[in-house]
Amino acid sequence: MMRMWSIALREYASLFRIPLGWIVVSLFLGVAGVVFSFAAIVPGQPATMRSFFELMWWLLAVIAPAISMRLFSEEMRTGTIEPLLTAPVSEFAVVMGKYGATVLFLLTLLAPTLLYVLALELLSRPDYGPILAGYLGVVLLGMLYLAVGCLASSLTASQPLAFLGTLFVLFLVEAVASFVAPIAPDLVRRFLYALSPSQRLGDFARGLIDTSHVVFFLATSAWMLIVTTVILQSRRWR
Amino acid sequence: MINAQSVSKWFGNVRAVADVSFEVDSGQIVGLLGPNGAGKTTTLRMVTGFLPPSEGRVTVAGHDTIHESIEARRALGYLPEAAPLYPEMRVIDYLRYRSRLYGMTARDRKPAITRVLDRCWLTPVARRRVGQLSKGFKQRVGLAGAMLHDPQVLILDEPTSGLDPTQIRETRSLIRELAHKRTVIVSSHILPEVEKTCDRVLIIARGRLRADGAPEALLAPLKDASAYVAEVPTAASTAARQGIATLAEIQSVELGRVDDAWTWIRVNPKPGAPDLREAIARAVAKSGTLARELRRETPTLEQLFFRIIEAEDPRVAAANAEAGARETGGAKGTGAVGEGGVEAR
Repeated sequence: MMRMWSIALREYASLFRIPLGWIVVSLFLGVAGVVFSFAAIVPGQPATMRSFFELMWWLLAVIAPAISMRLFSEEMRTGTIEPLLTAPVSEFAVVMGKYGATVLFLLTLLAPTLLYVLALELLSRPDYGPILAGYLGVVLLGMLYLAVGCLASSLTASQPLAFLGTLFVLFLVEAVASFVAPIAPDLVRRFLYALSPSQRLGDFARGLIDTSHVVFFLATSAWMLIVTTVILQSRRWR
Repeated sequence: MINAQSVSKWFGNVRAVADVSFEVDSGQIVGLLGPNGAGKTTTLRMVTGFLPPSEGRVTVAGHDTIHESIEARRALGYLPEAAPLYPEMRVIDYLRYRSRLYGMTARDRKPAITRVLDRCWLTPVARRRVGQLSKGFKQRVGLAGAMLHDPQVLILDEPTSGLDPTQIRETRSLIRELAHKRTVIVSSHILPEVEKTCDRVLIIARGRLRADGAPEALLAPLKDASAYVAEVPTAASTAARQGIATLAEIQSVELGRVDDAWTWIRVNPKPGAPDLREAIARAVAKSGTLARELRRETPTLEQLFFRIIEAEDPRVAAANAEAGARETGGAKGTGAVGEGGVEAR
């Protein structure tokens, strides 16, 4: 546990010691600010953050791969993976520590957006239920995207490849849900919608916390992390 | 402490390491030698458990590196080639991080970090970022990170590459010091380095173990064949040469110019000849002149190494075999090295 935690802390701290971390922070806050001011603060509209949350998926689909692309690719490229994986730490602890760091970084990114809630409070009387549900949805969605990125990063020593691979997968799933699903037979359509994280995020943004959505996000993330662990372990029996 | 049993490693169709077996006791410093691409790093990676052997098994401190990986890793300190580090971290933060990875208690951590900072001469740069340090300092940070938890086994892959001569000497004495109660495997391609540091040498070429033994033992067969060099006045060199040539145990004599006044005479003894220095000195004196220098060339690990590497190359091997047969009637040559534990193939 201490080992997992120290891996997480190192990873988290290093995100703030490299330009990438600050680029991600400024990009996220900049775009999120624009989205909020245009989508949420509209005269005559109810004081909700629904559209802000609904638009989050594509912002996170770009931001999450940028955070996660380093996790293993960088260690493989520089060779630091060798002292890491020959230290008495299980592969699972390494994966969880690194993944935990990115989730922590995501929470750090989201923290300043609480100011938007404050802005709404000052302007009018927001309904806090949907806002809380929306944040939960965004965090769960982010966790899934980061887990996908973590998996991609364990597959290549190239950060750009890990980034683009993750981006491609995340957008492909959404593209299939938006373009293929409407023309597909009913059963397939429902399946494709079920695969789409943005569809599920919509429910959270409306203030609906559906257990199946929570389970979907957590289980899919866990699945990605387990596969990542197996990939790291596989070098020992390949 | 370390036991490798007929270990092989395949990368696709390429066999990087082929059927290597060795055992290392505690307190030994073992040098792993070989040309680039011989399989040194792959062998070390298999010992650390980073890579699994395709065939065979490795145990460290009695633990299988694959099936009891964590236990084996606990006993290990590993400095990979080129000492990979996180450039954005401070030296002291890196060592703190490593100490936590080793699972050291908060109480043990501080003295251990102070100790390795001191022993690796890192105290002045403890607060510097790793990325700003010179190559030599980075190597030492890597070494400090590998010895933090006082491991029973230290695996150092090219610990002196990129260091200046002073740093090489310092690292050498550090490794010697560390070896008191530990097992150390050092890979290197700097041969005099290994000769000075190691109790035992493993020479690996094309993935196969070619020699295994103490440097003196490996060199003993070469010593028989080592030449003598005398420097005599040029004016008297022909007479001196004729004098030496009358000695019974001599194979051949060569002559060469040192400068205008002096000439060197190189005397190759017959295999198995005793020490000829006295006889040569007498022969020179008898010819009515004086040798200002007479020395016996001492065989080096380098010579042994080249012999083994040449034997690996089929073209050189053919040339060698021919020369060996002509020179020694096939009795010695590569076969002589075989007595020191080298398989001549």
